[in-house]
Amino acid sequence: MTSAPTPLLAIRGLRAAYGKIEALKGVDVEINAGEIVALIGANGAGKSTLMMTIFGKPRARAGQILFEGRDITDMPTHEIAHLRIAQSPEGRRIFPRMSVAENLQMGADSTECSDAEREAMLQRVFTLFPRLKERYAQRGGTLSGGEQQMLAIGRALMSRPRLLLLDEPSLGLAPLIARQIFDAIRTLNRQDGLTVLIVEQNANHALKLAHRGYVMVNGLITLAGTGAELLQRPEIRAAYLEGGRHG
Amino acid sequence: MTAPSTNTAKPATGILALLKTAFINALVALVLFSLMVGIRTEAGSSGQLTYWTRFGELASLVAIVFGGSIVIELLRQWIGPTGAEKLVPPALQSGMSLIGRYLTPALLIFTLLVPVIFYDQRYILDLAILVLTYVMLGWGLNVVVGLAGLLDLGYVAFYAVGAYSYGLLATNFGWSFWICLPLAGILAAFWGVLLGFPVLRLRGDYLAIVTLAFGEIIRLVIINWQELTGGPNGVSGIPRPTFFGIPLDNSDEGFAARLGIEYSPTHRIVFLFYLILALALLTNWVTIRLRRLPIGRAWEALREDEVACRALGINTTTTKLTAFATGAMFGGFAGAFFATRQGFISPESFTFQESALVLAIVVLGGMGSQLGVALAALAMIGGFELFRGLETYRMLVFGMAMVLIMIWRPRGLIGHRAPTVFLTKAQAISSDLVKEGHG
Repeated sequence: MTSAPTPLLAIRGLRAAYGKIEALKGVDVEINAGEIVALIGANGAGKSTLMMTIFGKPRARAGQILFEGRDITDMPTHEIAHLRIAQSPEGRRIFPRMSVAENLQMGADSTECSDAEREAMLQRVFTLFPRLKERYAQRGGTLSGGEQQMLAIGRALMSRPRLLLLDEPSLGLAPLIARQIFDAIRTLNRQDGLTVLIVEQNANHALKLAHRGYVMVNGLITLAGTGAELLQRPEIRAAYLEGGRHG
Repeated sequence: MTAPSTNTAKPATGILALLKTAFINALVALVLFSLMVGIRTEAGSSGQLTYWTRFGELASLVAIVFGGSIVIELLRQWIGPTGAEKLVPPALQSGMSLIGRYLTPALLIFTLLVPVIFYDQRYILDLAILVLTYVMLGWGLNVVVGLAGLLDLGYVAFYAVGAYSYGLLATNFGWSFWICLPLAGILAAFWGVLLGFPVLRLRGDYLAIVTLAFGEIIRLVIINWQELTGGPNGVSGIPRPTFFGIPLDNSDEGFAARLGIEYSPTHRIVFLFYLILALALLTNWVTIRLRRLPIGRAWEALREDEVACRALGINTTTTKLTAFATGAMFGGFAGAFFATRQGFISPESFTFQESALVLAIVVLGGMGSQLGVALAALAMIGGFELFRGLETYRMLVFGMAMVLIMIWRPRGLIGHRAPTVFLTKAQAISSDLVKEGHG
């Protein structure tokens, strides 16, 4: 593992639980600025819980979450968002009765930014996802699944994040649309230097996209390495790429 | 219009299907009514159970259900299923949008002219003031229920707080209406925040129950705190409003005497009319302004998805509290107006029935739609007066009207929600022109 001086996000020994059911059993993850990091694993491994725990819901039972060396483990959710950590949550969670334009503005509302910065970011989102520009006056709920995913990512981008958390962006999308989404993430990383943590079940796509990856099984990180390395590992191929059972 | 034929095709709607539905409904009615109506039981003279049958009534009820369900099915086919695309002729469509564009200004102008047109008809003026009071209450509650999506069944509590604030401050300290009005609003907003704190974690049904209880608590406190509120006897002798210090009465100092015109009690009514109109329009204006600001957008987003809001950095606590406080403040204004209009207030004016009525106005009008709420208030309060002669049947009529509206317009009279954010540079594309996505 490569270790940079101070990672953008460092998670150390993180434990979290829903009632008595422990979902995270001591997780260590590091994300350096400018990286795309993929987190892969089967259903119920705790990937989404990790995402949500970074945002303070559920609260961590033990361990630390450090953002630029600052402890954010016990911060209220909205203050974590104010540090410009943005999230495209699982199931997209766009605002269905509000227009596309309003959805996007919601992403920028709680951050302090000038009208010019807001406008610039809006244009950036429209360049990445031209479909959103075509449909800006439509209600969010009338968009297709892929467009809703674009909207969720666009809304998260409107806060000009320093770290973007994406929870299953390809879930339920046609392969072609999923590819568009992954391409946009790659563009954001290369051109804007955006740091991304992506949770995916689609291990093949995610690991090809990511610089580094972590594999999660039953609330623990079992493997870590570069995307290319992980793609070569026979146990990864067996468990996540070739439809076999994990041993 | 070239709607695909699949959209217009209806499910089997033959006479046979119609009769089948009606038959099933009649069967259900038979089972239900056979015990409720068909057999009548009563305690006999020596305590034994006596019963007799009423098959005639049972048969007529079942027949009514049978006939009724045929009529409803026919109506439904005639009007069309709610979800399906309706084929409205383009001419009618453009006519409708024309009406839509001019309805609001036309209504506003008409409202402004009501005291001129109906100057001699005291009854109509009184009714108009009542309707406007409910329009204002509806718009106030609309902030909480329509925008923020927090179901509030105890809105009357803030109405009561406003009314008693003015009533007590004016009778005990002799403060004028114009000082008490903002105070009543502030006090109501304070109670709104006070209610808001314990219910922050609640949603939907649970929130509704607690707000319902809150409304009752306020009423019970008013009844029982006799030293302050006068209990069930209420507060009487509340001063009438003055025209910025000039009383609207028959004295030498009065409004009429100063202007040198003949005194008429209608002056006061007309003044009250314009007062409540101004207050209602203020409510409307503030709401429209707030909707375009981040706080109003946050209210609407909160209604849609609380989890997403939090992830976007919105402090849901303050967002909810401001919604409660804003709605309560307008309720307080309306309450102060109510107190000065009546001159007498008692706990009887602030029962759950009022909360339910205001909530019904908001829901029927279309949650979040200002025009819809105004129209619903007009229909509900005006309608109540219209059917006053029928007395026993009017609740029946209103129940029916509500059921019908919920069947055909489940989002309320005006369910359309106007967007508040527009692109400045890009060309505008109307949502009507863009096809809905599939997915």
